[in-house]
Formats: sequence, structure tokens, C-alpha cells
Amino acid sequence: MIDILPHILNGLTLGLLFALIALGFMLIVGLMEQINLAHGSLFALGAYVGLQLLGPKPPLPADWTATWIALPLGWRYALTLVIAPAIVGIAGAAVELCMRRTYGKDPLYGLLLTFGAAMVIEEAIRLTWGTRDYVLQVPQTISGGFIFQDLIWSTYRFYAAGISALIIGLVWLVIEKTPFGAIVKAGAHDSEIVRALGINLSRLRLAVFIFGTMLAAVAGIIVAPIWGIRPHMGVDAVVPAFLVIVLGGVGSFWGAVSAGILVGLAVGLSGAYASEWSLLSMYILLVAVVTFRARGLFGKKSVLEA
Amino acid sequence: MNGASPNSPDAARLITPTMLIVWLLLATIPLWISRIGLYPYLGIEILIWSIYALSFNLVLGTAGLPSFGHGAFFGIGAYAFGLCQFNVSSNLWICLVVTTLAAAFAGALAALFISHRRGIYYAFMTIAFGQIFWTIAIKSHSITGGEDGLLKIARLPADFGFVSFDLKSNVSFYYFVLAVFVVIVIALWRLTHSPYGRVLSAIRQSETRAAHLGYKVWFYKASVFAISTGLSGLAGGLFAMAQLAAFPDVMSLHQSGYIVMMTLVGGGLVSFWGPVVGVFTFLIARDVIGAMTSAWMLWFGLLFIVIVLFKPEGIAGAFRSIVDSAKAKARHAQGMSALRLLFRS
Repeated sequence: MIDILPHILNGLTLGLLFALIALGFMLIVGLMEQINLAHGSLFALGAYVGLQLLGPKPPLPADWTATWIALPLGWRYALTLVIAPAIVGIAGAAVELCMRRTYGKDPLYGLLLTFGAAMVIEEAIRLTWGTRDYVLQVPQTISGGFIFQDLIWSTYRFYAAGISALIIGLVWLVIEKTPFGAIVKAGAHDSEIVRALGINLSRLRLAVFIFGTMLAAVAGIIVAPIWGIRPHMGVDAVVPAFLVIVLGGVGSFWGAVSAGILVGLAVGLSGAYASEWSLLSMYILLVAVVTFRARGLFGKKSVLEA
Repeated sequence: MNGASPNSPDAARLITPTMLIVWLLLATIPLWISRIGLYPYLGIEILIWSIYALSFNLVLGTAGLPSFGHGAFFGIGAYAFGLCQFNVSSNLWICLVVTTLAAAFAGALAALFISHRRGIYYAFMTIAFGQIFWTIAIKSHSITGGEDGLLKIARLPADFGFVSFDLKSNVSFYYFVLAVFVVIVIALWRLTHSPYGRVLSAIRQSETRAAHLGYKVWFYKASVFAISTGLSGLAGGLFAMAQLAAFPDVMSLHQSGYIVMMTLVGGGLVSFWGPVVGVFTFLIARDVIGAMTSAWMLWFGLLFIVIVLFKPEGIAGAFRSIVDSAKAKARHAQGMSALRLLFRS
């Protein structure tokens, strides 16, 4: 029992990361009923922009660069967590503006459009940064490891899990406890009435999409030191994100979070005992659950199942 | 409507005039393809992917089921062909039948789990099965060769008893694949216009309504998935013959995405021939844009976005609307002349 504990802990931290990766995807699926397959590429873009900002040649105006470099790494890292998502948000806005034409049609078209966008972003990343792997620098305080009960633990994993939990909590507060969240939820529930109340729905959808994109970018920066940065990381992220949403059920916040943790546990535990096959475990988990529960764990009725 | 409208005479035909024209055009490809700067092997690839896309469209276009893991079954076909050739028999026909059955069996297995599901849940279950089969193919080194692929697959001779064709040259293999294509086109045309195919269209329009009319929707969804995966597997077997090997990358999510792209770009949702048009466009664009720039996916992605935005019914759909508006104009002109006749006095 004792030797399984580290694996469970490992699975839990991984699960929080999966939940974080899925968070932006979930917002767009739940509140806009659109599947954003570009989520993974925007996630990767976030990591690359973060890399560029923390690297020796930040994409800033010349006179700012000196001040920026002079800042301690901790500050730069914290600011990157805000600036990089804002930059990626612009790309997200472009995707949403294209997507408008597909609203009201079969959800398949939105999905295809974002598949095309994912191809374009991934290829653009390849052209800009090449195909090699990069490592994202993180401040001293959160890198390295510590020893607890004769085992070496990575500090960064716990930091990443903690900040994931924090972001998940904040997003929940924004959706459930703010007027913005209330309007967005109402818009998902009955868009016509919301429009009749004089709320600009297209601006609202743009805001939701940018918010989802920025969450993808934040997830990219947080996950990058663990997975490494390479062009393929987008695909590696979008598939689990999609899986977590389907497993948790469309339209359920805590469904997605608990599905993320379940997937993390499944991957973590199977990775410990059969590492060759650990990636299979999440698909088997999904098939096992969705075979018996038509809408995943806690899914609600949605146009995405028509 | 996918295929001819039920009132058109083509719906009842075994072979339609369009088919004859398409086959004749395809039959001439080896004569001129090298002259326009392309190569004969591309013709083989186009035909094989056309078979694959037509089979895939049975699920996507005819029955309206979003399957995003079809590459897995294409790949299973490729491996099955190689393994059958090495372990069971060196007769081409036996191997092709085994290939089709193996892929159909894998498809039926997946279909048992997914056929009661709808929409996004259905779509992701197909991805999950695709990923499961893909992972198995990569990890089972001893059977499939893992990432290195299953090598040294031979192009077995097509033996008809009284005469046997050697398929080693690309031209003879091209005509063999064309013959298979002809058979598949006829079979799929009849299938989409059969009572079974009409139920599939009903399911595409509304699963609930079809169920209320008393059709066992899950049975139709499962059987069409098995038929489609079986034929995709056959295409995969031909692909293994073409490449002389079977590789796991055709089973990946990317490749499964490409077949969806090809089918939709061509206009598979509105036209029987859409998938074929899409395969032509995709593979030729790959070669032509790929020759000019290494970032062909960037340009193709942009092209794809433009098509989804402005011509979501695809190339065949755009063509059809041009023909329809031309017909309407002609009818209008006729009407005008009839009016002129009436009021000439």
C-alpha cells in the first residue's frame, strides 16, 4: 500500500494538469457549443511565446528589452504568465472571427475550421521555431527537487499542480460568481433571450473564446517544463483535453475537473506498472465509462449530441 | 442528398453515365500523367485513397456519423494483408478477402461500443478506438514491426485461373486498382440507393425520427460502420501492396483527420463523387504545393479554412450549384421564349 502512494500522488498532480489543459476547451464547448480543435496548437503557441519572452531575445520594442532583461527571472516568469496568454489571445480572436460564419450550422463545420486553424498554427510554429526541442527556464525557487521519505520529488510538479488548482478555482469563481459569468451562462442557455435583453452576443462569444484561448496558453506555459517544447505538443494536449471533456460530460465544470484527475490517475498508475501502455489507459477508461454512461460522468443535454 | 435523387433515372442504374466517364478518364491516366510532370505512382495513390474516401463517406456522408478514427482500419487492412501473405497464403484473392474481413471485424468490435452513442460522444469514441488500435500497432513490435513498419510485402500476382497478371510494374498495378475501384464504386452506388441506404439517410436526417419509425438505429449504425471499415481495410491492403510495406503512421489521428478533410473538401456531404474529387485535390495539392514550399500544410490549411468558410458544401457542391443555376437560367430563358410566342401578336 505504501509503495503505491507515490504513484497516486504523481497521478493526482498529473490529473490537475490535465484538468488545466482541458479548462479552456471546456469553456468553449460548454458555453459556445463549439469544439475548438485549435486548442492544442494555441496551447503550444503559449509555450513558444513564453519561451521567447523568457529567452535572450524577447519580442519587445528595443528600449523595453533592456529593462525586461534586467528584471529578476521570478518577476519575468510571473509577467510571462500574463503577457504570453494575451498575445496568444489575439490569435484566438482571429480564429473566433473566422468561426462566426459557422454558427448555427452543423457543429462539424466549426470543428473542421478549427482543425484547419490547428494545421496552420502548428506549421507556423514549425516555420518560426524549427522542429527542435526546447526547455523552458523556470525560477530557481520552483525548480529542482526535494527528498521526502527517501524519495526524490520534483518541486516543479507540485508547483504546477498547485497553480492548476488555483486557476481552476479562479475560473470557477468567474463563471459562477460574477455578472460576466452569469451573462455567459445565460447566453449558452438561451441566446435569443440574452440578445433580446440588449446584450451584444457576438462580443460576448469573442470574449469567451479569447478567455478559453488564454487559458490554453497559460496551460502551455505551465506544462512546458514537464513535457518539453516541440511542435507536436499541441496534438499531445488537444487529444487528452477533448477526452477529458467527453469523459466528464459536456457542460459540466466539475465533471471535467474530476475526469481530468481520473485520467491523471489512470495514466500515472498504469505508467508505474506498464509504462509501454500507459497512454492506452485513458482511452480504455473513456470507452469503459462512455459505454455505460451516454453523456460521460456528469454531462448535460447539448446540441453537440444531435 | 448524397448520391442521385430517388426520382432520377441514375438512382436505379447499376452503371451510370457519370461512372463510365470517370472510369474512362481514369483509364487514360497512365498515358499522360508523366507528361504533365507527375508520376504513375501518384495515380495508384489517388485511386487507393479514392476507394478509402468513398468507403469512409458511407459513414460520414450517407449515414451522417462523425468518425474520426478511420485511419486505424485502413492501417489494420495494410497489416492484415502483409501478415496474411506471410503466414496464411500467397494467393492474392484470399489475402484481400482476409484483409477486408479483418478490418470489418475490428470495425464491428468498435461499433458494438459506439453505436448507441451520438454526436460528440460518438465522435470521440471513434477517436479513442483509433488511438487504441494505433498504439497497439506501434507497441506490438514482434507482429507489426513497430515504428519501422512491416516490410517486404509483395505485390502478389492476380491469378484468374486461366490467366495470371503480374502486378509488379506500376502501370499493371494501376489497372488492377482501377478494376477494384470500379467494383467498389458499383457496390457503393447500389448500397446508397438500396432500401438499406435510404434508412441510413433517414438516420442522418434524424436518429430520433428513424427510431420512432421502428428502425433499429443502432443496428444500422453498427453494420454501416463495419461495412465501411471493411472496405477501408481493403484500400489499406492495396496501399500495403503499393508501398510494399505497412506503416503505423496511416493509423494516426492526423491521417484520420486528412481523410475527413479530403471527403469534405471534395463535397462528400452532398455528392457521391465528392470524396474522389477531394482525394484528387488533396494529393495533387500536396505534390504541387509541396514541390514549391516545404510548408505545404500551412497553405493547405489556409485553403481548407477558406473552403469551410465560403464553400462548406465542398468542390462538388459548388459545381452542382453552378450546374443548377445554369439549368435554372436555361429554363428561365425557355420560359421567356414561350411567353414571347404567346404574346407575339
